[in-house]
Amino acid sequence: MKHLPRASALSAAAVTLLALAACSTTAPSAEGGGGSDDVATGNGVTDSEITIGMLTDLSGPFAAGAAVQVTETQAYWDQVNADGGVCGRDVTVDVQDHGYDPQRAVTLYRSMAPDVIALQQVLGGPTSSAVLPLAEQDDVYVGGVGWAGSALAYPNNQLPGASNAVQAANAVDYMLDELGVAEGSSIGVVYFAGDYGGDSLAGAEHAAEERGVEIVAQEITSQTTDLSAQASALAQADVAGVVLAAAPTQFASLAGVLSSQGADVPIIGMNPTFNPSLLTTPAADALLANAYSITSISPYANTDAPGVQAANDLYAEADPDGAVGWEVPLAYVQAELLKQALDGACESGDLTPEGVVAALGESSSVDTEGLLPDGLDYSNAGQSPTTTVFISKVSADADAGLELLDQVSGPSAESFSYGG
Amino acid sequence: MSYLLEQVLNGLSYGLVLSLIAAGFAIVFTSTGVLNFAHGSVVLLGAYLVAVLHPTIGFWPAVLVGMAGSAVTGVLINAVLVRNLADRKPDTAAILMLGVDIVLLTELTRRIGNQVLTLGAPWGASVVRFGDVSLPTGRVLAAGVTVVAFAGLWYLFSRTDLGVGMRAAAADGPTASLMGIRLSRTAATGWALAGVLAAVAGVFLTSFPAPGVAPTVALSAFAAIPAWVLGGFDSVPGAVVGGLVIGLTSALVTGYEAELEPFLGTGFGEVAPYVVMIVVLLVRPSGLLGSKEAVRV
Repeated sequence: MKHLPRASALSAAAVTLLALAACSTTAPSAEGGGGSDDVATGNGVTDSEITIGMLTDLSGPFAAGAAVQVTETQAYWDQVNADGGVCGRDVTVDVQDHGYDPQRAVTLYRSMAPDVIALQQVLGGPTSSAVLPLAEQDDVYVGGVGWAGSALAYPNNQLPGASNAVQAANAVDYMLDELGVAEGSSIGVVYFAGDYGGDSLAGAEHAAEERGVEIVAQEITSQTTDLSAQASALAQADVAGVVLAAAPTQFASLAGVLSSQGADVPIIGMNPTFNPSLLTTPAADALLANAYSITSISPYANTDAPGVQAANDLYAEADPDGAVGWEVPLAYVQAELLKQALDGACESGDLTPEGVVAALGESSSVDTEGLLPDGLDYSNAGQSPTTTVFISKVSADADAGLELLDQVSGPSAESFSYGG
Repeated sequence: MSYLLEQVLNGLSYGLVLSLIAAGFAIVFTSTGVLNFAHGSVVLLGAYLVAVLHPTIGFWPAVLVGMAGSAVTGVLINAVLVRNLADRKPDTAAILMLGVDIVLLTELTRRIGNQVLTLGAPWGASVVRFGDVSLPTGRVLAAGVTVVAFAGLWYLFSRTDLGVGMRAAAADGPTASLMGIRLSRTAATGWALAGVLAAVAGVFLTSFPAPGVAPTVALSAFAAIPAWVLGGFDSVPGAVVGGLVIGLTSALVTGYEAELEPFLGTGFGEVAPYVVMIVVLLVRPSGLLGSKEAVRV
């Protein structure tokens, strides 16, 4: 009798383990509604409905931008449903808040996976790093995880445009080709420790080698909000330009300090480094004089592109008082990419999670009406889907503070390859 | 040479701002024995109040409101939460403070959103030049204000009954209480002082060369923790020395990263303050100027 509690505890543990194992080995496509049409269906699909997931951050550091994306995403799918839906079915979005906590993201993913066909977004670096491998095992499409090269290793992931390394390589190319930076000069790279910054540095270093310039690297963290020491070091190294893979706070500080030290050099920020509110800070003049932004996605103000105009109109209708910025076209295009993958799966008669991933792997020329560069190639797993990026100038006249200058694909961006 | 001087001045002026925050940690610790991990959010709160109020009431009145707001918040945290803890152990209070930090920071993050709120400081992005060396005006002002603030603290602690009472309460609470010192009053004064210092630090931490108020400011404030610890948990002069050491170390290691990189790799500037803190604690376990009892708590 003395050992009984232990024995029962052990057997309870064994039962739990078995139950967990049973859960984790259930093939996601093993159940789900049947289709009345000729399309095979799986998790998250019934005769009348397709459910997609969105793991976002509504209570953590990215809550404000995430809320804009949720609004736009909802409006996008409402419109799709009004136009007849996907594969004859309405699309519903299951939005869950991971609060930027990887553990919570994993738990939410586990509970959501049996009921969704795909995840349109897993917002955040650490959270998506936690979810991607699980989703790969389950063969579930995951979009909207940012632009880090490390995410390209997952064939179930769809990057919305050029990866960080390709953006940074283009930044170096653009400085040499268009901004008068001479061969043989030094270019500073200020970057966040981690996937995003590390990938950007790799791209800049590749370009530096190709184009005969020297890289002066400065690693920082998101806590570094005063870049005086870094700016002085860059000015001392006599850099002819700076590539910044950080956040808006760092963009403004770096531009402001460099300008105050008389270093009148171009600064090119990667995807998430610009925010229109920077133009109300004391660094506004410095930003207007010297700052550029390279983005994988078209800036908000590029309304010549029909996709951007559609995205902006949709958002203006959904939330007339909402904050405008790059999140609007981003959320729209993430939804659009997933819709194209869903359409592909429907056409091939396999509207299951695996079918969506397969459709993604076969799409070698995706167009998004100017939201992303045309001809995105997702068939070459492990590589950036495009080498083309948008280059914009910080401008007080443009909506959301960025005026599109050009779409560029520089020689170093084209010669860059992951694992190569 | 002017480059070295520029980095040294950068480091010292930033270090003085850190020392304002570190002194807040030390004052709360000496007056109530609490490791106040919510201090970073109080710094952010002070700056946030200035940022949202300056368009309507002007910058300087907004600074006064920010200081008052942070001070009142500190006093309330102490009166409502810390004093009512059934178990007055420092570790329980420290965990409570982590909770308070999360609540305050989440609310401030929600309010700030993804914006960078400008502080409206009249010195803007101007710089002061000393020969070849330039220093942001905000930092020069910060240095001046900090020196005045610490002179004030010195006067308070050594020349006034209230300050001497606070020191007595910190040294031996029960005895001080028997001698007629009201511990609730010295504790409230400590929290209020720490709040005022936090708001002042918040203003300088979010004005040029930093662009404005963003939620990460609360994290930046944690850069003052190594300064507080290496100065000695319970010493205000220690916090000043600690802040200067940490500010100087980060600036020099970052400024000479190119030269140091072959030995230390990249990004060592972010780690250097903690390395210095550990080295100091190995040599002097009670910190540079801390009293030995404080460390044993």
